[in-house]
Amino acid sequence: MAKKNKNQTVGKRRLAFPAFSNYGTALKYFVEQGVGAEYVMPPEPTKKTMQYGEMNSPDFVCTPFKHTLGSMIEALELGADTLIELGGPCRLGFYGELQRQILTDMGYEFTMIDFDSLKDVKKSVWIDVMKSVNPSMKMSTMLVEATNTFRMIRYLDEIEALYHANMGFEVTRGAYDKIYREFLLDMNTASSGTDIKNAYKKAKTAMDDEPINKPALPLRVGIVGEYFTVMDKYSNLDLENKLCRMGVEVHRFMNVTNYNFGSSEPKLFVTAKQYMRFSMGPTSATNVKTAENYAKLGYDGIIHVKSFGCTPEVDIMPILSRISSEYHIPILYLSYDTQTSDTGLDTRLEAFYDMISLKKKVLKG
Amino acid sequence: MKKAYIGIDIGSISTKGVIIDGERNIIASAYLWTEGDPVGAVRRLLSELKNQFDADEYTVVASGTTGSARRLIGAMIGATIVKNEITAHAVGTTSIHPDVRTILEIGGQDSKIILVENGIAVDYAMNTLCAAGTGAFLSSQAHRLGVEVEEFGEIAKKSKHPTPIAARCTVFAESDLVHKIQMGHSREDIIAGLCRAVASNYLNNVAKGKKIVSPVVFQGGVSKNSGVVRAFSEYLGVPVRVDENGHLMGAFGAAILSMESKRETPFSFDVADMDFVTREVNCGKCSNNCEIICVSRNGTLIDSWGNRCERGDIRSRVNK
Repeated sequence: MAKKNKNQTVGKRRLAFPAFSNYGTALKYFVEQGVGAEYVMPPEPTKKTMQYGEMNSPDFVCTPFKHTLGSMIEALELGADTLIELGGPCRLGFYGELQRQILTDMGYEFTMIDFDSLKDVKKSVWIDVMKSVNPSMKMSTMLVEATNTFRMIRYLDEIEALYHANMGFEVTRGAYDKIYREFLLDMNTASSGTDIKNAYKKAKTAMDDEPINKPALPLRVGIVGEYFTVMDKYSNLDLENKLCRMGVEVHRFMNVTNYNFGSSEPKLFVTAKQYMRFSMGPTSATNVKTAENYAKLGYDGIIHVKSFGCTPEVDIMPILSRISSEYHIPILYLSYDTQTSDTGLDTRLEAFYDMISLKKKVLKG
Repeated sequence: MKKAYIGIDIGSISTKGVIIDGERNIIASAYLWTEGDPVGAVRRLLSELKNQFDADEYTVVASGTTGSARRLIGAMIGATIVKNEITAHAVGTTSIHPDVRTILEIGGQDSKIILVENGIAVDYAMNTLCAAGTGAFLSSQAHRLGVEVEEFGEIAKKSKHPTPIAARCTVFAESDLVHKIQMGHSREDIIAGLCRAVASNYLNNVAKGKKIVSPVVFQGGVSKNSGVVRAFSEYLGVPVRVDENGHLMGAFGAAILSMESKRETPFSFDVADMDFVTREVNCGKCSNNCEIICVSRNGTLIDSWGNRCERGDIRSRVNK
């Protein structure tokens, strides 16, 4: 009897999750290695993704909805038959159901796995969902691969942070980009826990060995803001890389490792009593405390990122202005909608950079 | 031969240019409407500057551009430095008013606030998605009321009871305005109310959460409107300075920045006579379909921009 090929795809369910930063890679790994189904990687978002999303979304919904809907359409066009919506801490939580209805009305046939509806259920229900995708899923494999997936997400976040901290000071132009791209490719093709570890080690060593020319007191900017837009470089028009290329050390606390795995919101909320007496939204305490922390650490500036009309983030802006005046740190507020031109962003970032670099020069001199 | 530096600020509505000497004195200046044609406006601007400029005494050794068409004009004149308008305004204003703490700026399409401490900018904000209360809004309302926008200040002065006008948003302000006109409010009161609305809208939006400390300098095209100036000083409770050269500050800042860059690049007034063509090319190498702008001078490609990745790189055959 021929040995069963682990990677055989015929007859398997084809799952997809809308493009969101690099986390699709981790989900792909879990779906393929852990659950034993096929994963359809949606293409990198482009203007077209946004157009699909915009055309089929309610007008006043926030930009992340349009992004994810557009990406889902692209995945369905590539043959996905099961969509995953991870839900979210704000109205993102309602998106799964609404997107399911919109896509069904558009005539697509698919199954939606909405994590938001699985939030408070028993663990056995989760297993039922996974079994519905692949009835012959092996529990032991799934559990091992789940651990590996979590590890992969931690690695993705760690290497990304390292990349943004040092990329602006590389000696050989493009060297960090090359290491990072290779790392993402390695993660994308990883098929075991060993592959994941090796990819991480390779990238970490390469980044540590890559010579950088960083001054003793580099310009440091901390980025805070709304969960989706702040992490997804397509949504924020590659904000972090733009800053890095100007020669700035860029930090962003908000990522899946810190926010979701580290449960930063409940933890930080108890320490944020000075600023808020009750919860103001899913990421408010995290963003306020992170901004305060950047200010205390003597960062040169903070950038606050949100999609246009994001109420929880609008609500914390007065607190951020208070931090700005108390700690004497400039904050740049950026609001993103479906615009695709970077001109306005470039002007603001350039001015912000000029301002903080001149300030630093004068203070040092 | 003394050294001189030229700065050009190409805004959405007007184009400004100054030439300064090594001591930052303005030796030539010009101000004209962009009229939707930045290249043409700069051509006219340069010929005007050339007439005021004493070519036997001075020679222009560096040039700077700012404003929304800075990149295009920078490529056209071969600028030493291309800077955003926020930095240029801060640099220009602080060198004329070294003690300034707050710069209010309202231009044709955007408005900004710059906070200054010890002569350096420490914080700024710029209107984001909304053009409420900018020069373009005032112009269109002037048109509706059948007066020239330049007369606003004088007319507003006559008003005893300025009409309150909703200032939250241009669209609301406009419908409120129409409503008040039809109700029978006098034109003076409406215009005075409009000036107050621009100031309060600015303070509630762009300047929100910013601590406005005196001395306050107000500039940009709208600063020529004495009605808005009066409204600002009433709301803020401090005198608001308006410089007669306030509209030139961006260009002045660009000239200073080109001087401070310590680099010298050849500049010639003759670029005005050269043939400039801009062409839009669609990259098409991925579904982003980046629109790349190619600028050529006398038939030779000198610069291009608009591509998001290296796949769309169109390299100049001259400089690179």
